[in-house]
Amino acid sequence: MIGRLPIGVRLLALVAFGFVSAPLISLLFRVPWTRLVTLLTRDTVTDALLISLTSSLVAAVLALALGIPLALHLSRMSGVASSITRAVIVLPMILPPVVGGAALLFAFGRNGLVGSVVFDVTGLLFPYSISGVVLANTFVALPFVVITVEGALRAIDPRYGLAATTLGAKPSRLTFRVLLPMVRPALMAGGFIAWARALGEFGATITFAGNIQGRTQTLPLAVFVALETDREAALAISVLLISISLIVLVSLRDRWWPVR
Amino acid sequence: MNSSSDLLLDARVVLQRGDLKLDVEVLVQKGETVAVMGPNGAGKTTLLYALLGWLPLQSGWILLDDETFEAPGQDQVTPTRERNLGMVFQDGLLFPHLTALENIKFGADSQAYVDDVVETLNVKALLDMYPSELSAGQTQRVALARSLAAQPKMVLLDEPLALLDIRARVDARNLIRTALQESLAGALIVTHDPADAFALAQRVLVLEDGQVTHFDTPDQIRSQPKSRWVADLMGWNVFYGVAHSSSILLANGTEIATAESGLAGDTMVMISPSAVSLFLEAPGGSPRNSWQCRVQGVQNIDGLARVSLDGPLSIYADITSNAADELGLTIGRECWVTVKATEVRTQPRSTDP
Repeated sequence: MIGRLPIGVRLLALVAFGFVSAPLISLLFRVPWTRLVTLLTRDTVTDALLISLTSSLVAAVLALALGIPLALHLSRMSGVASSITRAVIVLPMILPPVVGGAALLFAFGRNGLVGSVVFDVTGLLFPYSISGVVLANTFVALPFVVITVEGALRAIDPRYGLAATTLGAKPSRLTFRVLLPMVRPALMAGGFIAWARALGEFGATITFAGNIQGRTQTLPLAVFVALETDREAALAISVLLISISLIVLVSLRDRWWPVR
Repeated sequence: MNSSSDLLLDARVVLQRGDLKLDVEVLVQKGETVAVMGPNGAGKTTLLYALLGWLPLQSGWILLDDETFEAPGQDQVTPTRERNLGMVFQDGLLFPHLTALENIKFGADSQAYVDDVVETLNVKALLDMYPSELSAGQTQRVALARSLAAQPKMVLLDEPLALLDIRARVDARNLIRTALQESLAGALIVTHDPADAFALAQRVLVLEDGQVTHFDTPDQIRSQPKSRWVADLMGWNVFYGVAHSSSILLANGTEIATAESGLAGDTMVMISPSAVSLFLEAPGGSPRNSWQCRVQGVQNIDGLARVSLDGPLSIYADITSNAADELGLTIGRECWVTVKATEVRTQPRSTDP
């Protein structure tokens, strides 16, 4: 039997919960429920929904595909090299997303370091296109995958690697049959956080990919525009975003965090 | 002693790890089980890791079945994966996301061999279970099965029974012995427990502070301890004194005679409790090594009485419970303690800091 928590701790916990839930609940009070369907079936909303879901899912997959190898590598590094690599990778988590978007322009823009080469070779332009949205989303989502997965990999007892090796496992077998399955919860959590971060991404997207309805306007951007022109629509889209997030949270809860 | 074709492992491991300076030479014959014993921090696990190639040698060599893994002047060190050495960890270290069967098959090439080890180690009922559902004893049986299924030339076991309760220990020990005999592989088993060492091993290597103090049969080590740690482990009486030719003078003035001669300097004296005789009357003549002592306590275990005595010498004597009854040994009783000079073992003190 665990004893009760001190009254002060319980009060503060209540304050924390109230602080987070109050804005969400007040939002629900203002939603024009009767006109919800009409508001959400407008072209602006359906376009934004499609762009948001596609770009965030593709970004999450890309973040996993690139982040897991980097996490595997980083978990074996030590010393200054690992500190520097980790600092660079974590930077997009801390950076104001607008700065990230500007940096993306300098790298992947029409005249950017990488972007100019890509354009010359393939004719592909990232800015103001859906590929730009995906790029911006991946940029901000990747660090979450790397940090989550690397932490889990580092927590694995290194003797598991020794055990697998004495049993004749080559590096590929050790990686795919032992290490990655052992961090499966972290892979799922990393992918999920990456997707959630991409779905909510605003600053880097608007800076790098612009805000073109039907091409690069995602749900958060649509909310931003609607807030100035049509408050009811903004509320309706907000409810949509909250609903998507809640459905995913609830359906993933068993696998993402332990449920007693 | 043996022809070289019977030799499985020939290794000299020299390395520094923290404060520990390890310098061990170990030979294992084909089919032989060698136990590695020693106090905590003596370098037992370090030795296993070095043999596996997980820790680099500073100097020395490792040869297994005429294959050279590491040797002076050899640039290429054989990687762990190609050494054909099995490893069983203290906590089993089964892959938690795989069932017992998937664990056992992890390194196996032959299904027939998997079936064999499953049979020998009696794990058939456990095959569909995950490691989190297994008891400590079951875990170790599966861990040994996993290791043997890869058909190693030699198995290294690091305290495989340490986490088991006493009952599971006896069962697991018997299964391990059978499995090691059937696999015909050699084995090096690190253990704290003399019972494990004596039940499983043909020879025992005692490692103290990175150095080998014994490498001999269990009987030799039991009857001829050379170090304080082994003497304590076997329950021997240990005294310290200064030797002059064939006798040792203890700090309290008591003198112990030995059958040896030419001794000098600080010396450790070891006397087996079973070599101590007790009499109610002073022995006739003037025998050396007899002292009048007082009984401090008597413990009866399975017909054997361990009598602790105090006097010129604080000493334990093992006599039969019947003899203890006949002598009427009760606490406070005076009696004579005698030890034959030929039963007194000595060891220069310098080897035992």
